[in-house]
Amino acid sequence: MTKRPKIAAIVTEYRKYSHGQHIVDRFLEGYGWNSRHHHPPMDLVSLYVDQHPEGDLSGDRAERFPRMKIYPTVADTLTLGGSDLAVDGVLLIGEHGSYPTNEKGQHLYPRYELYKQIVSVYKTTGKTAPVFNDKHLSWNWDWAKEMYDISQEMDFAFMSGSSLPVTWRTPSVDMPLGARVREALCIAIGGVDSYDFHALETIQCMVERREGGEKGVKWLQAYRGDKFWEAHHAELWSRELFEAALSRSHTLTPSRQGFNNIFPTLDEMKQLVEDPIAYQYEHLDGLKATMILMNGLVHDFNFAAQLEGQDVPFSTQMYLPMPPARTTLANFFSPLVNNAEKMFLTGVATYPVERTLLTTGLVAAGVESLFQDQTRQETPHLNISYQPTEESTFWRT
Amino acid sequence: MAPKRIGVIATIYRYLSHAQHFADRFIVGYPYEGRWHRPNIQIVSLYVDQKPEGDQSADRAREFGFSVYPTISEALRCGGDELAVDAVLLIGEHGEYPRNEKGQVLYPRYEFFKECVKVFEEDGRAVPIYNDKHLSYNFEKAQEMVDDGHRLEFPILAGSSLPVTWRLPDVELPLDCEIESALMIGVGGSDPMDYHALEAMQCMVERRKGGETGVKAVQLIEGDAVWEAGEAGRWPKELLEAALSRCDSPGGLTKEDGRTQDLLGNGELPKLVENPAAYFIERNDGLQTTLLMLNGAIGDYCFAARLKGVPDPVSTQFFLPPTPNVTYSACLVAKIVEMIMTGAAPFPAERTLVVSGMLESCLTSRIQDHQRLETPHLRVEYHAPAESHHGRA
Repeated sequence: MTKRPKIAAIVTEYRKYSHGQHIVDRFLEGYGWNSRHHHPPMDLVSLYVDQHPEGDLSGDRAERFPRMKIYPTVADTLTLGGSDLAVDGVLLIGEHGSYPTNEKGQHLYPRYELYKQIVSVYKTTGKTAPVFNDKHLSWNWDWAKEMYDISQEMDFAFMSGSSLPVTWRTPSVDMPLGARVREALCIAIGGVDSYDFHALETIQCMVERREGGEKGVKWLQAYRGDKFWEAHHAELWSRELFEAALSRSHTLTPSRQGFNNIFPTLDEMKQLVEDPIAYQYEHLDGLKATMILMNGLVHDFNFAAQLEGQDVPFSTQMYLPMPPARTTLANFFSPLVNNAEKMFLTGVATYPVERTLLTTGLVAAGVESLFQDQTRQETPHLNISYQPTEESTFWRT
Repeated sequence: MAPKRIGVIATIYRYLSHAQHFADRFIVGYPYEGRWHRPNIQIVSLYVDQKPEGDQSADRAREFGFSVYPTISEALRCGGDELAVDAVLLIGEHGEYPRNEKGQVLYPRYEFFKECVKVFEEDGRAVPIYNDKHLSYNFEKAQEMVDDGHRLEFPILAGSSLPVTWRLPDVELPLDCEIESALMIGVGGSDPMDYHALEAMQCMVERRKGGETGVKAVQLIEGDAVWEAGEAGRWPKELLEAALSRCDSPGGLTKEDGRTQDLLGNGELPKLVENPAAYFIERNDGLQTTLLMLNGAIGDYCFAARLKGVPDPVSTQFFLPPTPNVTYSACLVAKIVEMIMTGAAPFPAERTLVVSGMLESCLTSRIQDHQRLETPHLRVEYHAPAESHHGRA
């Protein structure tokens, strides 16, 4: 019998509905998958928790799952208190918890710092293991790039990102591989340096499948408030794609009392959306993409693209069964965990980390543009090229 | 092309009532296949049976240029002397109506339908009817409704949004597959919500080899007997696990601290379910199907089946997008529009007929000591359409 892999988890906090809880619980408790309550064929043996706020569940989990031990340091978590790397995979979940915010509004989650502690063990022991990093790599581009470079230099599997690329889609469609994409757009709920990342991942997991694959991004410009509406009027992004994306929403705020599902006029949208934000950017091959956050109008993530040779836009919704309003389980973490499991079993990332490197850079550029009076940011550092996986990796079964 | 003219016959027209959901989509459009559709269809007349507080019928009529008529026949004739609509929406859901001893709400769908048929007969012309949810609480009445459609040769589209909404994952049973067993789980009260669950199961199992053969017998059991029946193998635990694997809203410990749960394996399920109920539906071709109503334990409608020659069960969740948009009803309106524009119902009313009948018989079983009841009258035979009609594009 093959040995069951041992997994370590490094989390910022472990509270109800924190990412640490969603992800680690799925390794411990199992989760619904392909008509079964699936238990990952591996053991989560060690846990590091950076903060223990009120409602911390790590103690309860350690008690109920005695094979998992809590360690006081990242190094101990990886070596199980010894001197050698003792795990076959690492989960790095640096989302949620009390961390400072900088002047640009970025939440300074210590993903880079925790990652550096992980690779420090790799360096001292001369051994490595695959790392799954939840969400973007770091709020700081240089650090994010360093994280990527280290994984390349040390040659371990590294996968990252959010649930958006892997969750259900309504409809259940993927961008045809090699499609000629003329323009792409996403309309989503969310704020700066948080859900903008999810919305950018929504776009990127689709457009990376275009003809020639990903080549990187030339520039980005943010639009906010009045400037957003001016850009919308000037049709800096396609009105047809905008309408297609909104037509995929399941949560369009009714703009008139007494109606449950009505398409808003522009004036009504302005009433509903206090602080609209767009990041528009151009890829090196000329593709224009726009990430739009419309809090107050939608609560979901809707994608639309114009494909060459097709009369109507290609569109779908990346569906998040989000607790507590709509569900009790954030089951969009199930496909994310399933992909991490596959990487731990095979030692190969199931989708390219370059996607997340690029979206990490796009978030940072968007934040910077907003901070610099919504000016255009040239992004020569985002000349990141990669090829998508041929097979779709979103939840379809 | 001149717009098609439709009449709406509703029990009530109030915010979030079914009539408001459906009729409004013809007025303000609806999202479907990535577009905001505004079909070339116009509501020209409305009849509402009750006008409770919050009634919107007069406001809608004023704003969107149609009339509210005091009777169904006048609505269908738009106040004139002959049928003046190209189709009828019959929305007999919501409103204050009594319940019978079986707990069925006595919505006057049959009575409304017969009023329409009377106009069709008198005026020598019949038009398509969409009937929301089940045809009637009473099978004989439901059968008569379907027979009227055949006799006067007008299409009837009936049923709820469950068969046409999104599925997670997007699965359809292969046409002519061999089903060894099937199980549905659902939540909510009777008889509104068990109807939805039975219909969701029906739209899946009707695709089996030989098509639907009708129902031979039914039995509804409740309480601990449901779990005992599972232990005795009357419903397959494997399929319950499969259906539960599709749930996004388990209760109990998940609500408490967010954890995932193997509800069947960890023994929590029986503790969580308030008054469990099992609806056993035996088909004439021998297929055994079961609906488990699991109030308190889950919040979703999920289906699972074992197909011959397929190693793992097939399972899916019938996804009901949230209030207020309830975009599942946009999926159904798209099918109503399809019928109005083509003159043919996309799927047979016999599906709704057999579900109306199996539900009624199950509720009879409940008040008759939970006895198994033979149902020779439910020999409803039909074939599923080859094409899929749920949200998938």
